[in-house]
Amino acid sequence: MIASAGARVRDRFRRSSGFVVLVLALGLLGGAYTAFAPSSQADETPNSIAVREGEKLYNGGCTTCHGRNAQGITDRGPSLIGVGAAAVEFQVSTGRMPMARQEAQAERKPPQFNKEQTEQLAAFIDSLGGGPKVPEGNLRDGDLAQGGRLFRVNCSSCHGYTANGGALSSGKFAPALDDVTDEQMYAAMLTGPQNMPVFGDNQLTPDEKKSIIAFVQNMKAEKDPGGMGLGRTGPVPEGLVIFVVGIVVLLFATVWIAGKS
Amino acid sequence: MSDQHHPTPVDVDDPSLSRFDLVREGARRDGIEIVHYEPRFPVPGTKAEKRIERGIALWLVLSGISALAFVVIYSIWNWEYVLGGTAYAFFTPLLGTTLGLALLGIGAAVIIWAKRLLPEELSIQDRHDGASPDDERKLTGATLLSMVDETGIKRRPLLKGALVFGLGGVTLAPLIPVIGAMIKDPHPRSEPLFHTGFKDGIRLVREDGTAIRPADISAGGIETVFPGIPHGATNKSADSPTLLVHLRPEDAVEAEEKAKNRDLFPTDATDAEKEELKKANYFAFYAYSKICTHAGCPASLYEQQTHRLLCPCHQSQFNVLDSCRPVFGPATRPLPQLPITVDDEGFFIAKSDYLEAVGPAFWERP
Repeated sequence: MIASAGARVRDRFRRSSGFVVLVLALGLLGGAYTAFAPSSQADETPNSIAVREGEKLYNGGCTTCHGRNAQGITDRGPSLIGVGAAAVEFQVSTGRMPMARQEAQAERKPPQFNKEQTEQLAAFIDSLGGGPKVPEGNLRDGDLAQGGRLFRVNCSSCHGYTANGGALSSGKFAPALDDVTDEQMYAAMLTGPQNMPVFGDNQLTPDEKKSIIAFVQNMKAEKDPGGMGLGRTGPVPEGLVIFVVGIVVLLFATVWIAGKS
Repeated sequence: MSDQHHPTPVDVDDPSLSRFDLVREGARRDGIEIVHYEPRFPVPGTKAEKRIERGIALWLVLSGISALAFVVIYSIWNWEYVLGGTAYAFFTPLLGTTLGLALLGIGAAVIIWAKRLLPEELSIQDRHDGASPDDERKLTGATLLSMVDETGIKRRPLLKGALVFGLGGVTLAPLIPVIGAMIKDPHPRSEPLFHTGFKDGIRLVREDGTAIRPADISAGGIETVFPGIPHGATNKSADSPTLLVHLRPEDAVEAEEKAKNRDLFPTDATDAEKEELKKANYFAFYAYSKICTHAGCPASLYEQQTHRLLCPCHQSQFNVLDSCRPVFGPATRPLPQLPITVDDEGFFIAKSDYLEAVGPAFWERP
C-alpha cells in the first residue's frame, strides 16, 4: 500500500513535471517566436500608432474623393501617394481639406481636424510613399532683406507685393497671407498646393524659405499708422479715396458757406 | 443799365464825397449797383463783436501753433526705420495733421471774419445776353474779309500758286519719314528689338547669376531666369527675363505630344526654325518669354494644375502645355519659346536666341 502509495505520488509528480516541462518548452518556443518573428504588435512605436489612427481618420473622411487606397479618383481627388506629410499638414490645418464641394479652388475655412489628428493623418499619408516634410524648430530664423528680395522675385507676382493676394483665372485666386502660420507657409512652398508652383529645397533652400517666412510675417506685423491700410495697395487707391471723400466734404462745405450768405 | 438808376454821373473831384461814395461810383461805372450796405455792428466794441473777434483769434493762434509744431516735428522727429519701433511711422501722418490744422485755422478765420465782421452788402450786376448785337457781328465780319482783300490773293494768281507750292512742301517734310518707312523697312531684323541677351550656349541663370540644373526645380515648379551675361538680370537686358517651367510628368507627356505637332509659329519662321521650335523643350522643361505679347507686362502668374500662365495687367492667359497659345484676354500671339538644352556640366543653356521678337507688337514687327 505504502509502496504503491509512494509510487502513485511519484507517478503523479512525474506526470506533473512532464506537464511543467511541456509548458516551459511551449512557453520558450512561443517567446522565442514572438521575439524573432516579425509582428505588427511587436514595434508599437508612437509613429506606428499615429499611422493607425491616421488611417482610421482617413477612412472616415477622405476616401470619398481620394479613394480607399489613396490612389485618387478621376475628377474627384488626386492620388495622395508620395505627396508627403507637408501637403497634408497644409491642406488639413488650413481647413482646405476636407473640401466642402468641388469648385474653382478649395478655400481656407476652420479646420475639421485638430493638431493631433492632423499629425496622425500626415503620418499615415507619409507612410504610403514618403514625400516632403516640414522641419521642426523656428521657421522664422532668416534674413529679412534676403527674404524680401526672394519674395518679390518668386511670390509677389501672384500674392502681391504686400501679400494681400490676387486674382487668377476662372474664379481662382492667390490668397492673402494674413493668418498663415510659419508651418503652413513652409509647407505651401514645399508642396505647391492647388495651383501654386512648387518651390523645392533645391530651388529655395530651407534657409531661404525661412527668410521669406520671416519677411512676410514681419511685413504683416507692421502697423498702418495712417489708419485704414486700404489693402496696402499704394498711393492710387489712397488718392482715389481721399479724392472722393475729400470732394464730397468740400462740396458740402461749399454749399454750407454759400447757404449762410 | 446802371444809368437807369443814376442818369447823372458823379463828379469824382467833388471834395464832399466820402470814400464809400467813391467806391459806390466805381462799382456803378463797372455796371454794379450796391443796393444795400450796412455794418454788422453799428456800435463798435459791443460784447457780441468782441466774442467773434476772440473766435477768429483762436483759429489764427491754433493755426500758428500747428505750423510751429509742423516745423518742430519736421526738424527733430526720427523718421528712419527702426526695427520693432512705431514712432518713426507717425512722421508723415503728424506732418500732414499739423500742416492740415494750420491751413484749416487760416481758412476758418477768414470765413468767420468775412461772414460775421464784414458789412452786409447786396449788389446787383446786370448780365448781358449771349450773342453780340447784329451791328457788331456785321462790322467784325467786314473787318476780317477786308484783310483777305488787302492781301489781293484773288487777283494775284502767281502768289496763289507759289503759296500752295511753298506751304505744301513744308507739310510734306514731316510726312516723308512716315511714308518712307512704309516703302523701306528702317529696322531690319538685326535691330535690338529682335534680340535678347540669349544666344547659343548662353547659360540660364537666376537673378543672382547662379546657373541652374534640371534637379533644382521640382516638378510643378517655376523659376525666373536671365541670360548668363554681364548685366543679364538688369534693365540692360530688360527684354530677356524668361520663365523656366518644370511640368509634372503626366503633363509633360501631353506637352511633348503637342510640341511635336506644333502648328503655331512666328509669321516669318523658316522651316528650320519651325523644326527647332518643335523640339525647343528639354524633357519636361519649357522656357517661355516672361514678357506678355499684349502690352509687355511680366506674365508670370503660373497655375500649375491648369497650366495657365496669366498676365496680371489685362488678364491674358496662355496655355503652357500648348506652346503658350493665348486662350483668354487681349493677347493675340503666343509667348515666344526659348530653345533650351543642358551643357556638358549639366547646366541649362539656350540653344539659340528667341526665334522671334519678344514682347508686344511694334511697327516693324513682321
